[in-house]
Amino acid sequence: MKLKLTALASAALLASAIGSTAHAADEIKVGIILGFTGPIESLTPDMAAAAELAFKEASDSGKLLDGSTIAVERADSTCVDAAAATAAGERLISSENVAAIMGADCSGVTTALANNVAVPNGVVMISPSATSPALTTIEDNGFFFRTAPSDARQGQVLADILIARDIKEIAVTYTNNDYGKGLADSFGEAFAALGGEVAISAAHEDGKGDYSAEVGALSASGAPELAVFGYIDQGGRGIIQAALDSGAFERFIVADGMIGDSLAENVDGDLTGTFGTLPGNESDGAAKLTEMLTEAGAKGDGPFTAESYDAAALIVLAMQKGGSADRESIQANIMAVANEPGEKIFPGELAKALEILAEGGDVDYEGATTVKLDDVGETAGTYKELEIVDGKFDTVKIH
Amino acid sequence: MNHGLRATLAFTFMAAMLLAVGFGQSWNLALAILNLCLISAVMSLGVNIQWGYAGLFNAGVMAFTALGGLAAVLISVAPVPEAWAAGGLNMGLAVLIIAATVALIYVLRKSLPGGALRKLITAIIVIASLYLLRKFYSPGVEAIEAVNPAKTGYLGGLGMPIVLAWLIGGLFAAAVAWIIGKVSLGLRADYLAIATLGISEIVIAIIKNEDWLARGVKNVSGLKRPVPYEYNLQNSQWFIDLVEKISASKLAALTDPAAKQAALQQLVIESSSIFVKLSYSVLFTVVLLIILWFCTRALNSPWGRMMRAIRDNEEAANAMGKDVTGRHLQVFVLGCAVLGIAGAMLTTLDGQFTPASYQPLRYTFLIWVMVIVGGSGNNLGAVLGGFLIWFTWIEAEPASLFLMELITAPMAEGNAIREHLLESAPHLRLFLMGLVLLLVLRFSPGGLLPERVRHV
Amino acid sequence: MPETTDILNALVLFGNFVFMPALSYGSQLALGALGVTLLFGILRFANFAHGDTMAFGAMVAVLVTWWLQSLGVSLGPLPTALLALPVAILATSLLVLLFDKYVYRYYRKQKSPPVMLAIVSVGVMFMTNAIVRFIIGPDDQRFSDGQKFLVRARDFKEATGLNEGIAIKTSSVITIVVTVVVVVALFWFLNRSKTGKAMRAFSDNEDLALLSGVNPDRIVLITWLITAALATIAGVLYGLDKSFKPFTYFQMLLPIFAAAIVGGIGQPVGAILGGYIIAFSELAVTYAYKKFFRYLLPEGSEPDSLVQLLSTDYKFAVSFIILVVVLLVRPTGIVKGKVI
Repeated sequence: MKLKLTALASAALLASAIGSTAHAADEIKVGIILGFTGPIESLTPDMAAAAELAFKEASDSGKLLDGSTIAVERADSTCVDAAAATAAGERLISSENVAAIMGADCSGVTTALANNVAVPNGVVMISPSATSPALTTIEDNGFFFRTAPSDARQGQVLADILIARDIKEIAVTYTNNDYGKGLADSFGEAFAALGGEVAISAAHEDGKGDYSAEVGALSASGAPELAVFGYIDQGGRGIIQAALDSGAFERFIVADGMIGDSLAENVDGDLTGTFGTLPGNESDGAAKLTEMLTEAGAKGDGPFTAESYDAAALIVLAMQKGGSADRESIQANIMAVANEPGEKIFPGELAKALEILAEGGDVDYEGATTVKLDDVGETAGTYKELEIVDGKFDTVKIH
Repeated sequence: MNHGLRATLAFTFMAAMLLAVGFGQSWNLALAILNLCLISAVMSLGVNIQWGYAGLFNAGVMAFTALGGLAAVLISVAPVPEAWAAGGLNMGLAVLIIAATVALIYVLRKSLPGGALRKLITAIIVIASLYLLRKFYSPGVEAIEAVNPAKTGYLGGLGMPIVLAWLIGGLFAAAVAWIIGKVSLGLRADYLAIATLGISEIVIAIIKNEDWLARGVKNVSGLKRPVPYEYNLQNSQWFIDLVEKISASKLAALTDPAAKQAALQQLVIESSSIFVKLSYSVLFTVVLLIILWFCTRALNSPWGRMMRAIRDNEEAANAMGKDVTGRHLQVFVLGCAVLGIAGAMLTTLDGQFTPASYQPLRYTFLIWVMVIVGGSGNNLGAVLGGFLIWFTWIEAEPASLFLMELITAPMAEGNAIREHLLESAPHLRLFLMGLVLLLVLRFSPGGLLPERVRHV
Repeated sequence: MPETTDILNALVLFGNFVFMPALSYGSQLALGALGVTLLFGILRFANFAHGDTMAFGAMVAVLVTWWLQSLGVSLGPLPTALLALPVAILATSLLVLLFDKYVYRYYRKQKSPPVMLAIVSVGVMFMTNAIVRFIIGPDDQRFSDGQKFLVRARDFKEATGLNEGIAIKTSSVITIVVTVVVVVALFWFLNRSKTGKAMRAFSDNEDLALLSGVNPDRIVLITWLITAALATIAGVLYGLDKSFKPFTYFQMLLPIFAAAIVGGIGQPVGAILGGYIIAFSELAVTYAYKKFFRYLLPEGSEPDSLVQLLSTDYKFAVSFIILVVVLLVRPTGIVKGKVI
C-alpha cells in the first residue's frame, strides 16, 4: 500500500521530464518564511536578504532553467505562533504555489510547518536556523532539510575545545528556548563526560533590558569562565555587557548565535580572548559571502545569514539539476547537489554551478558553511574555533 | 436593523470571505483559516462568558490556553518508563508533601482561632515542608531531566487519545482558575486585569522552566492526531479512487496518460490535505456548537439574568442578597474552562506544544479584540468576532505587503524609504488591530452584534 | 570571626551585584510607576499603553541624539541623549495629547467605567507599538555616548586591594540623579503650586473639585503632559542604562504596574517605594549568596549549594508574587492607595 504514491510519483516525474524538454523561461515562485515579527524580528531581515541574494544571483545569471527567474514570496512565521505560521505556510504552498520553501527559523514553528504543511503537501523546506536535535527524528519523508547543524554536535565540539584549553569549571547561561536549552544540555553532557564541571546552568530570557541578576548568580557560582549560548543582538549580548560592566567575567565562551563582529563592536569593553564555535570552515566562501552581503546592504556576519544563503542556493541548484522547478524534482535532487561528487561551489559562483548542471555535470555545493547533508538531510557540521583578537573574530582551528 | 437579520448578514459575509479565499487563493488555505477561526471562536466565547456576562477583565487568557495545551501533552504522549523509574518516587513523595501541607494548614485554620500563634504555626509548617520538598523534589527533577534530554527528559503522559485532553484541558484550566479567582476576584476590574496578567506570566514561566513536566522550552512535538495523516491517505487505494471519482471530469479532459497521472497525483496530495483539515473542522464545529448551546441556555436562564444584574450594578445586586464574589468565581471558572478546551484543541491542531509561543499580545489581547469587536455579551457576536479577527489577522499579512508595494511602486528600486516601508509592512498588522479595536469601541461600543437587551 | 577585609569584600560584592543594579533599575521603575499612578489618580484608569509610550519617547530621543551626533554636538562625559530629552518630551506629549483628543476624551465625556478606558488603552498600546516599530524598526539601537564608567571594577580592585570590585556606571548615576531631581520637582509641583493642588483635589474628590471651580480640561491636559514627560525620561534613562529595543518596553509594563500597585496606586510616594521594592526584591531573591557567605562564614562551613532563594528563571515572576501577596494582605498597597 505504501508504494502507491511512489509509483504515482515516478510516473509524474516521467511526465514532467517529458514535458520539461521544451519549457520556456518562466517565473518560478519560492517562499521565504521567517519570523519577521516576534522575538527574532531583528535577525530575520538579514537572513531573508541573504537568501534573496542567492535567488537573485541565480535569476540574474540567466542560466537557471533556460533563463527562468525566481520570484520570492515572503511570509511571516512569527517564530513562536505555530498557528499563524501554519496559515502563512499554507498560503505559500497552496495559494502562491511556491516550488520550495527557505525556512522556517525557530525550531518550534519549523516543526509545525514541516509536519502540518510542507511534508503533507510534498514541498521541500530547508531551514537555515532550526537547530533543535529533536528535528532530526521528525517524520519528514525526505522533505525537510537544514543547513544549520544540530546542536548536539556543537555541544560536543565546544566541550572538546574547553578541555583542550584546560578549562575544567564553567558557568553556563543559555537563551530560554529550544536552541539555548538544547545546546546547554548537549554541552553539559559532553563536558561532564570529559571530566569538566558545569557550576551553574541558568537560563536568560531574550528581550529583557536588565541582566544584572543573571550575571550576579552566574558569578556567585565561583566558576572562572562563562559560556553564553544566546543571540548576538538579544539577551546574550546583554549578559556579556552586564558581566563586563560589573567585572564578573572577563572572557566568554560563545556558540554560533553569538558570533559576529558586531559583538565586539556593540559591546563596550575589551573582549579579547573570547572564543567560540561557528559552523563552517576556513573556506574563502564565508568571507566572500560576507563581502557580498555587505555590498547588498545587509549585515555581513549576522547569525544564520550564511545558512540562509546556502539554503536558498541548494533550492536553486536542485531545480537546475532536475531540470524542473517541480516540487518532487527539487526534493529528489537536493542531496545530489549538496554532496560529492562534483565541482565544489562557493558563494558567488552560482552562475558557474548552473552552467555545469545545465551541461549535465555534477556539483558539490560547499557554500559559506561547508554544506554536507547526511542521510536525514542535515549537515553534520564542521566547526571553526574562533577567538577575538583586536576586536575581530579570528579562526584558530577547524573541528 | 433587527438582530436576527444582522447576525445572518454578518455570518453570510464571513462565509463569503472564506469562500473568496477558497476560490481566489486556495481551499487548503481557506480551511486552515476556518479551523483557527473555529478555535478562536471558542476562546472568544470563553472570554465573553467572563466579560460579557459578568464584566470581569481577565487579562490572563494565555495561561488558560496554555494549560489546555499542557493537558493535551499529558494525556496523549506515551509515558517515559525510564524517567518514572529515575524520579517517579521522588516526585510522588513531593506531591504527597504538598498535599499533606495543604491539609495540615486547612485543619489548623479550622481548629485554631486566628492570631499570632496560628500565623506562627502556619509559617513553621510551610518552611518545614519547603525544606522537605527540596530534599525530594530537586533530585527527582534532576534524575528525570537527565533521561535522554534531547528526546525525552520528562515523565511523559498517559498515552490516551488526544480528544480526551479537550475535556481534561478544560478541567485543568478550571482548577487553576479557581485558585486564581480565590486570590484576585473581589478586586476592582482593572486591578483584576493586572493581577491576572501577572499570574498568567507566572503560569507560563512554570511551564517553560519545569522541564520534567512537558520538556519546557524544548517543546513536545509529534502529538498523536485524532484524524488521519496525509501521508497515509495518499497511499490508501480507497482515497485515490475517491479523488479519481470526484474529479473524473477534470481528468477526462487530459488525454496524455502521463499528464493524467501527474494531475491525479497532485490532486491526491491536495485532497489529502483538505480531507485532514475538513475532519478537524467537523470536530471543532461540534465542540463550538455544544459550547454555544450551553452558553445560550445559560445566558437566557435566571442565572444569566442574575449575572447581568450583577454586572450592571454590583452594589444593588449585593444589596439584593446576591453573593457577588461567589457568582464571579463561578463565572470566572466556567470561562477559563472554555479557554482550556480551546487551548487543548489548538495544541491538537498544531500537533505540538511550544510553551514559548504563549505571548500576551497574541493569546490575551488578540482574543480580547475578538470579543469586543464581535459583541460583548452576545454569544453569536463573540463567535463572529473570533472568525472575523482571526481572518483579518491572517489576511492582514499579505494585505499589508500588497498595500506597501502599492504605495512604494512609484519609488525607485533600492530607494531607502521604499526598502524601509517594505521591511516594516508586517508591523501594519498590529496597527490595524489597534485601529479596528478603537474604531469599534468608539462607533459601535456594543460590537458588531450587540447584546440583546429585552425590556419587559 | 571573619576579618575586616572579608566583611568589606562581602559588602562590595553585594553592592556590585545587588545594590547598585537595583538602585538604578528601581529608579527607572519608579519613574514609570509614577506616570501610571498619576494617570490612575486623576484619569482613573490603568494605562496599558504606558510601556509603549516610554518606547515612543525613547525612540524620539534616539533619533534626535543621532542627529546631534552627526552634527558633532556632544556633552563631553555625559550622554548626548540628555540634550535630546526636551525634544523627545515634546514629541511624546504631542502623541499622548492626540490620543487623548481622539480617543480617551470621548469615553471621559461618556463617563465610561474605568475598565472601558483600560481596554481602550490596549488599543492605543497596539498602535503605539506599531508606530515605534514602523519608524525605527524592531532592532536594538545604541545611542549612549560619553564616558561609560565613573568607577571601573578593575580600577576599584587595584585601588583598594580587595578581591571584589564595584563598578559604577555613568548611566546609573545619571538615572539616580535625574530621578531625584524629577521626584523633587514633581512633589514640589503637586504640593506647592496652585495647579498641583488643584490636581490633588481633583484626584481626591472630582465633584468637590469641580464645584470649587477647577477646570477639568486643564487638569487632564497637565496630567497628560506630566505623564508624557515621566514616560520619556524613564524610557530614555532605561535605554541609556541598558539598551533601546521596542520589545523590552512592553515587558517593562508588568513590573511597572506591580510597582504602582504594591506602593499604593494613585500615591506618588507609593510608586517610588514600589519601584525600589520590586527592583530590590527581584535582585536580592534571585542572587546566589554562595560567594557572599564564603567571605563571611568561617573556613570549612561554606555552603556547597548556590544559596539562591529562587532561580533566575523566575526573576520576573518575583514582581508578580509580591503583587499577589500585597493584593491579598493589603489590597490598598503599602502607602494606602485610594481606590479599590
